[in-house]
Amino acid sequence: MQNHILQKKEQKLAILLLFPSFLILLLVAVYPLFTVFQTSITNKTFASSSQISYIGLDNYTKLLALKIVELDPVFDEEGNPEINELTGKRVYENPTKVLPRKPNRYKEISQFDIFGHHFVFAGTDPDFILSVKDTVFFTLLSVFFETIFGMAIALIMVQNFPGRGGLRVAMLVPWAIPTAVSSRMWEWMFASTRVGIINVIGQFLRWTNGQFSFLTTPSTQLLSIIVIDIWKTTPFMALLLMAGLQTIPPSIYEAAEIDGCSAFHRFWKITLPLVKNTLVVALIFRTLDSLRVFDLFQIVFGQKRYSMSSFSYYQLINNKAMGYSSASSVLIFIIILLFIVLYSRISGGIGDEK
Amino acid sequence: MKLFTKFLFFSFVLGCISLSVFATGTTEKKSTMSESQNTNKIQLVVTASTAGQELELITEGCQKYMQEHPNIDAKILTVPSDSTDRLGLFMQYFETQSNAVDIFLIDGIWPGDIAEHLLPLGPYGAEKYTKDMFPSMIQNDTVNGKLLAMPAYTDAGVLYYRTDLMKKYGFTQPPQTWAELKTMAETVQKGERAAGNQDFWGFVWQGNAYEGLTCDALEWIYSEGGGSIVESDGTISIDNTHAAKALDRAASWINTICPEGVLGYTEEESRAIFQAGNAMFMRNWPYCYSLGNTEGSMIKGKFDVTTLPKGASGHGAAALGGWQLAASQYSDHPEEAAKLVFFLTGYEQQKMRAIKGSFEPTIASLYKDPEVLAAVPFFSNMLDVFNTSCARPSTVTAPHYAEVSKVFYSEVHDVLLGKENGKTAVENITLNIEDII
Repeated sequence: MQNHILQKKEQKLAILLLFPSFLILLLVAVYPLFTVFQTSITNKTFASSSQISYIGLDNYTKLLALKIVELDPVFDEEGNPEINELTGKRVYENPTKVLPRKPNRYKEISQFDIFGHHFVFAGTDPDFILSVKDTVFFTLLSVFFETIFGMAIALIMVQNFPGRGGLRVAMLVPWAIPTAVSSRMWEWMFASTRVGIINVIGQFLRWTNGQFSFLTTPSTQLLSIIVIDIWKTTPFMALLLMAGLQTIPPSIYEAAEIDGCSAFHRFWKITLPLVKNTLVVALIFRTLDSLRVFDLFQIVFGQKRYSMSSFSYYQLINNKAMGYSSASSVLIFIIILLFIVLYSRISGGIGDEK
Repeated sequence: MKLFTKFLFFSFVLGCISLSVFATGTTEKKSTMSESQNTNKIQLVVTASTAGQELELITEGCQKYMQEHPNIDAKILTVPSDSTDRLGLFMQYFETQSNAVDIFLIDGIWPGDIAEHLLPLGPYGAEKYTKDMFPSMIQNDTVNGKLLAMPAYTDAGVLYYRTDLMKKYGFTQPPQTWAELKTMAETVQKGERAAGNQDFWGFVWQGNAYEGLTCDALEWIYSEGGGSIVESDGTISIDNTHAAKALDRAASWINTICPEGVLGYTEEESRAIFQAGNAMFMRNWPYCYSLGNTEGSMIKGKFDVTTLPKGASGHGAAALGGWQLAASQYSDHPEEAAKLVFFLTGYEQQKMRAIKGSFEPTIASLYKDPEVLAAVPFFSNMLDVFNTSCARPSTVTAPHYAEVSKVFYSEVHDVLLGKENGKTAVENITLNIEDII
């Protein structure tokens, strides 16, 4: 009985002490979030005194409207299909003539073939759709490589060897440098003349002619920025995984060695299951961070290639469309929420013993 | 714990957290207000970027003003050199109606877009200064009958060329047409590469996807007779064969006389290539003239400036740039800010900037001033350049010019990348601009 009363007293105290923080959280986090939701259903313009009116879900329809339309091949005067001389492929009608214009104009995103029929995939805001695709692609690749490299580095760093302390500090340097500085640094390394060290190395190894523009050629743009992100964030993953590895008692490894377990088996059967919880936490951190990437894309690409966040930013600053930008922010929030739910399902919750 | 103790503890914690949050809330530049109140000085903040010598010369101007007016404390706020980044920064100040910045150095294409945030300068005596300036620039800065900015320096795109290489390869005069430019660039590039300079290119310009590309592309199109995207009566004129041809021609330069990386160059990158002696021609703004002749420059004394080549229209084209000084509506000291604006755009300051930085003045008489012409001989041609100048359609598309420009330069960038041809691009540009305005 005494225990019960004590518990209740402590609960009340706990709530009372947490209340101020909760109030601040409400003010600093929930209120701005609510304002974004509210702005997203208006047509507010940034830095302007024009009238604000509620337009319902118009912003969302403009962002998300997608359509797939079949394109007919073009025939010349004799009724033979026209062929494009440069590519050798058939010429199809111009999508601009087929796609609807009202109330919002559909613009082409990509074209594809299925079973001999040619289709165009269009949307009212191709920039947004592409930014989502680019960001997801960026996230998948960068998190994958960062985990692998991070794990490798962490495994090495938990061994005892001379100079380990110094190496641990050196390992953290890429993470410590501000993003603005390191992105500029890498931009210069990727420079399109022999000012850029990567072009110089590429020319030496005969991969490029020394004038390749990594950051403006669509096929290499994303890969370049993924390289920058891997360089920058692998130390973070390594640090988190190191913390997890250090909780494994070395006696388990000794026992495994005595039983004749190979290194690979030791890793797969002992290390990995025991470090699983830390790995899941690290993965969630990194995935959410990558989905929110803004600084890298804004500094290196500007308006050439958007990530979801830099798309919102440029809608706000360049087009002054605050309502539209808020709507895209809300959609980004929902996409990230989906990833969180996915992770929770896959990992079966953090801390569960299996 | 007793109830009273609990209550005390609770309020103490709440107080601490609130203080920490709200104390850091509203600091802007005015945190030094108490400092200036103590010394009775009025503080004015002026923006300047690190592009070229802008920062150095605006700072010099402010310091001179402070010597003559000891009660004014003029501070400089350094801003990004990219014009789109600057606009983004300034808009954030306008959105919060902040009094943190008093004077903005704004691009000539912004007055229409940001008109409501700028202080009309007429009531402060602008008349006696504006009568000496080019009327078209004053007109550009007048929105709805109110003068919102004073032209600080004007700018027009020019062609830089290497005089020593012209002589070496036997050319007598700079190229008169774009076709001539291509042949000359090819010859020189081949020769220089054969002589061992693997990094040499024929022609560099600004091909990154930003406002600068709008200027370069407008020059190609206007000189070819393709109009100026949106004409002054509001018609969208870009969808024509001349414009498409001009864009396709520029795309053909990539990787032949221009490095592929030109698609990532802004003004400073192209200047770096030319100033290092690695290009025959450069299209850039006149500020590079002084910088190219500084001590230690590889091309000191070996280059000159001329008007850009002609296209099918028979005349050249120079995109009109120009930066203006405007005072903020939200400034605490509008009259002092207006006076500083008049000083920084006055005869003396413009002359200083012309001589030290080759910034083109907005006062016509300075183009005949002997001291200015001694420092910058090519200014005598500049009046010709202004005759072939072509303004960007910023006033006619206000307040959506930023969006229109983005549409234009994105499509042009796609043509340069080889993603589409000129014809599709001009069609897309027309459709997209129709959606916006």
